[in-house]
Amino acid sequence: MRKVTDTAIATVTAVALGAGAWLLHSGAEASAPPQPSAAQARSGGEEIRSAPALPPLPPSPPDRVRIPSLHVDAPLTGLGLTPAGSLDAPPAERRDLAGWYRAGTTPGETGTAILAGHVDNADGPAVFYGLGSLRKHSTVEVDRRDGTVAVFTVDAVEVYDARRFPDEKVYGPAARPELRVITCGGPYSRATGYQGNVVVFAHLTGTRENRPWAVSAKSRPARDADSP
Amino acid sequence: MRRTARLLTGGVLAAVAAAGPAAPAHATGTGTAGLEVRPVGVVPGERVTVRTAACGPAGAAAGDAGAVGAGRFTLAPGTRRGGASGEFRVPPSAQPGTYEIVADCAAGGRRLTGDLVVTLASARQPVAPRGIVKTGVGGALGPDPVQTAAGVAALAVAAAGGTWLLHRRARGDGI
Repeated sequence: MRKVTDTAIATVTAVALGAGAWLLHSGAEASAPPQPSAAQARSGGEEIRSAPALPPLPPSPPDRVRIPSLHVDAPLTGLGLTPAGSLDAPPAERRDLAGWYRAGTTPGETGTAILAGHVDNADGPAVFYGLGSLRKHSTVEVDRRDGTVAVFTVDAVEVYDARRFPDEKVYGPAARPELRVITCGGPYSRATGYQGNVVVFAHLTGTRENRPWAVSAKSRPARDADSP
Repeated sequence: MRRTARLLTGGVLAAVAAAGPAAPAHATGTGTAGLEVRPVGVVPGERVTVRTAACGPAGAAAGDAGAVGAGRFTLAPGTRRGGASGEFRVPPSAQPGTYEIVADCAAGGRRLTGDLVVTLASARQPVAPRGIVKTGVGGALGPDPVQTAAGVAALAVAAAGGTWLLHRRARGDGI
């Protein structure tokens, strides 16, 4: 009887030792934000296949962004430019807040609308932590102040190094309503922080009224939108 | 958009001012000037406010923005800062250039002028950002507190078990 108890305690001790070591080891390094794979990159034929886009919406500022596959549902604040000319980020202390470039195109209008949010702050993961794991054909929804919801379909998810950032591709004008969603990404070093950005490219594929039950006839899900 | 327009306009004005004597001399308050035009630089379709104190604290004036195609307007007295003010809208068809805005005091027949600079609407195109956005500090890369706590708890259990077993062995109970 005593032997059985001893064996049980020895087993529990061994398992606890192993589990403790594994938890401490993996907890310290497994939480780097996900990065997009090469399969989510832009490809030549993609753009042609996804055209034509819906007719553009009139200008209206955005209020919220939703990315259902990442469980993101965040309010948007207006963003300006830093003195260096880069897009400013939302206040770092608000982990749930994303932003949009308020001097630029509003989401749904013809042109390139820009959203940005933090991947993390000093306290841990933030609103766009999972952005790098987003896949082609996922949807990004933007609630607009005029009561419409602009539904965008993801064309590509890329990660770009700061030293070779393709400004024109990311921020340049577009002939159809397009959206970019940006967060920090790429390699990280303590000295310089994240050395790049994860950029989601998407275009308008649907619109509806801001009521879940009123799906407009104009809404047209993109091909494969429901596949994982 | 509007903010950008102002910034761009400011840039245009700074450039004009840097050009020296060619700069529009508005609101100098002497003789035939004395008309304050705000904003001095506009794009077609925008509203312009015109103000003057040169007709006296309660003096009205008849304004004329015909040069830019906006027609006549009235400067009514009773502004917060004293003097008279009025508004007009620059026609969407207005061409870029500098236009003279005129106002005649209702009493005394004094003529006031001010300059209005119309810039191209295409100059309002917003400036696109450049480079990456600073949206992370690496806070997600530190140890996950929950996982760390669980790991510490598991090690504590292991330590307790190990101590108990060693204690048993030291007492000679054997395993």
